[in-house]
Amino acid sequence: MSELLKVENLSKYFPVRGGLLRRARKQLKAVDDVSFSIARGRTLGLVGESGCGKSTLGRAIIRLLEPTAGTVALEGTRITELTRRELFERRRDMQIIFQDPYASLSPRRTVGQTLLEPLETHRMMTPARRRDWLLELLEIVGLREHILTRYPHEFSGGQRQRVGIARALTLKPKFIVADEAVSALDVSVQSQVLNLLRKLQREFGISFLFISHDLAVVQHISDEVGVMYLGKIVEMTSASRLFARPLHPYTEALMSAVPVPDPARKSSRIVLQGDVPSPIDPPGGCPFHTRCPRVMEVCRVTPPPTVNAGSTEAPHFVNCHLFPVPNTEEDV
Amino acid sequence: MSSASVAAENTTIAVRGRDSLWSKAFYKFRHDRMGMVAFALVMAYGVMALGTVFGWWANDWSEIRGGRFDPISADFWFGSNVNGQDIFARTVFSTRTAFEVGLVVAILSTLIGAVLGAVAGYYSGSWIDELVLWLKGVLDSIPFYLFVAAVAFAMQGSAYGMHVAMVATFWTTTGRLVRGEVIKLKQFEFVEAARAIGLPELKIVFRHIIPNTFHILLVQATIVFVAAIKSEVILSFLGLGVKNGVSWGRMLAEATYEVGAGHFNNFIWASLFMFGLVMAFNMFSDALQDALDPRKV
Amino acid sequence: MTAPVGKKPVLTVKELVIEFQTERGVVRAVDGVSFELYAGQTLGIVGESGCGKTVTCLALLGLVPTPPGRIVSGSIELNGRNIVGLGDREMRNIRGRDISMIFQEPMTALNPVFTVGNQLCEVIRRHTDATRRQAHAQAVEMLAVVGIPAPAKRMGDYPHQLSGGMRQRVMIAMALSCNPSVLVADEPTTALDVTTQAQVIEQMVLLQEQFDMAVILITHDLGVVAETCEDVMVMYCGQVIEQAPASGLFTRPSHPYTAGLLASIPRIRRERLQELPVIRGMVPDLLSLPMGCRFSTRCEYADQRCQAQIPSLRTATGTDAAVACFKPLGEA
Repeated sequence: MSELLKVENLSKYFPVRGGLLRRARKQLKAVDDVSFSIARGRTLGLVGESGCGKSTLGRAIIRLLEPTAGTVALEGTRITELTRRELFERRRDMQIIFQDPYASLSPRRTVGQTLLEPLETHRMMTPARRRDWLLELLEIVGLREHILTRYPHEFSGGQRQRVGIARALTLKPKFIVADEAVSALDVSVQSQVLNLLRKLQREFGISFLFISHDLAVVQHISDEVGVMYLGKIVEMTSASRLFARPLHPYTEALMSAVPVPDPARKSSRIVLQGDVPSPIDPPGGCPFHTRCPRVMEVCRVTPPPTVNAGSTEAPHFVNCHLFPVPNTEEDV
Repeated sequence: MSSASVAAENTTIAVRGRDSLWSKAFYKFRHDRMGMVAFALVMAYGVMALGTVFGWWANDWSEIRGGRFDPISADFWFGSNVNGQDIFARTVFSTRTAFEVGLVVAILSTLIGAVLGAVAGYYSGSWIDELVLWLKGVLDSIPFYLFVAAVAFAMQGSAYGMHVAMVATFWTTTGRLVRGEVIKLKQFEFVEAARAIGLPELKIVFRHIIPNTFHILLVQATIVFVAAIKSEVILSFLGLGVKNGVSWGRMLAEATYEVGAGHFNNFIWASLFMFGLVMAFNMFSDALQDALDPRKV
Repeated sequence: MTAPVGKKPVLTVKELVIEFQTERGVVRAVDGVSFELYAGQTLGIVGESGCGKTVTCLALLGLVPTPPGRIVSGSIELNGRNIVGLGDREMRNIRGRDISMIFQEPMTALNPVFTVGNQLCEVIRRHTDATRRQAHAQAVEMLAVVGIPAPAKRMGDYPHQLSGGMRQRVMIAMALSCNPSVLVADEPTTALDVTTQAQVIEQMVLLQEQFDMAVILITHDLGVVAETCEDVMVMYCGQVIEQAPASGLFTRPSHPYTAGLLASIPRIRRERLQELPVIRGMVPDLLSLPMGCRFSTRCEYADQRCQAQIPSLRTATGTDAAVACFKPLGEA
């Protein structure tokens, strides 16, 4: 299994301006020192609540936002160090699918114009070849040819999302960020689109960073899962491991909070108190200590280290004082 | 559009649409009765103005044909003025003056407002934005009539001092509205998608952002049109506007001497025609706004 | 439906038909919906966008935008009084006092320029003859009831100063402040994070018992329905296609659409599925509905009769469920 994307110590801070002279007085640490990698043809799911920085992370990786620190490497090329010209060339390898099918298509452009634009911009293929490729793409995402002359407002949310997926595929990317790609869709459409994404992965070997707040969706689509809280990844391991045995108290609470469509199962729910603290002024120590049901004295003071609570073959990284660093192993 | 896309369309990939937002807006506008009446009135004024351009009527507006203050008759539909000129011809010809000023100012100030507003909005927070905002602030802080007087003085002899002054001040409102809309639009995911493709920023602004402000531009152009006509009348009334032609404002200026003496024709007809056009255009503009509002489409 | 013996329903909807005039023709958004609601009962209405669930509920509050909307026929009896065709002023008196509604996005439902306290007091004073001081006291009490910490302090806050969960609680407080007999909640937790959603749902269940209200919960999230509702109504293309106690509906759905919907939800499972079961095709356009059963174009069991006739709601053999299907599941 070869590595496609490697993210190391990536951070994205936003200056919070205030005061008379609009000087940056504080920093909002939207993404704070995040590292992970994604193998070819695999999916990393990223879950967390709104404001945890998962969307910012996705955008910083493909440089829709300029990262503050850290590196991103795609097939060994450091994306974070490319010049504008070089970045333009690499854009075709990394694309993004958006959440809101109503906002992600330009309302005054036809579907055909929207889908042709990436190919024209990158001068890919001859016009005749483009036509064949677009028709092929429409077939793949389950749309018919006549929609090319239509405007987005004539379509349902599910159809628009398929157009958005087709647009991301036009350049034949190797890596796609799917930012809440199915969250705005109806249940029956959601399952269709999820299956479509899985099919694309099988057929084209695309790697996905799948960002979602919905744990069930993430489990369904991901090979690996990372859980984010206030800009940090607090737990990361394979999907099967995470859902079988979550370690971090936040992951546990998140899982127990998901409503289950089965009235017989009155779950023993861990209801977290309060809200997610503001990322401008995150709590000291472990950022989760203000809401953690298993908080200890040390959590309020010292940020927890990231340890591998699994094995070397099946790693399970967790960022919590409940799992202290074993003496024999090095800090990961 | 690039030659590549033109070629693409030739290979039978039809990407142009049929049922655009424009056709939806058109449908809505057609069902707005007041709007249609207003539009018909505006068109009637337009034909009136166009007729003078082609020399169909009212080209004798400056000729002295009758006597002093002739009453309304078959020859002088609206009577004659102090010089014995036909008030009807002068009123009609003034429509052309109004349209000339209105169209020139509306088109130019909308273009300038669109480009400056869009660029400022897209780069909001940067020095470009600061510069545009500063320019707008400076222009807005000068009293309008003082500014016109200054420009007219500076451009002495030119017939276009009034136009320049109006364009320089009227683009700011359009610019502000467009800037706000663009700041909103650039958060939209379709703009991010264009950036993810690697589309150059200026292309993003002109291809994806400005077209989505067309509804604002169109409505704003109609508002500026009305404002320009009103200003033209006032400026001409004050002697700062039309120099070598006739305008409702100049007719009203003449009327100030006449009304006291009991001669009302200049006053009544100039006011009535101006009122009719401004009113109709305002109603048309409102209907257009309703029809184009993307939230209601 | 479980009709309590000897109790009169708070709300009776009979054969409600609502149409919308669009430029493409007349759309029948709600087509013959009937149901009863008793005090203390929670009815979930589920269905995908465009199924008519929101329009039905807007009609209950006299909020169908007219034009283009129009209640064509049917009656809505609230506490024994038909409210269809009542004037604006009468409806305003009923709204808030007898029936109130909470919306999906609390930020747009709250006025940003007034404090929370201001808006709460206004609602209370409009419907009761409380003095300014009494209204204030009652408002503080309501905020405490919905679980807002330091309610007296929060009274002076503006909506933007509150988190999403807090805003939704304020909306609930406003809706409950005049002790209505029916509360309509339209996707009340959809805009919230999972952990916040869990808090709000828990609060709503508690309040409903405390106030003995009848609640209508509109949602697309079947998990939320399972956790809160005793009865569920499933809508499809403007019609009720199944109505049943939640316990039966989730374990033994009768209508193929309900079954398909339940199957297609991704849930946290022990084993990851290769592919989610889907309902094939799309929700039909309301302007070109199929001749017979509206689900027949997507139903795997549909036969000629289904394509020709519209099934009416009837009790399915051996269940408590009312189902509009010629061949309900579980019936041979």
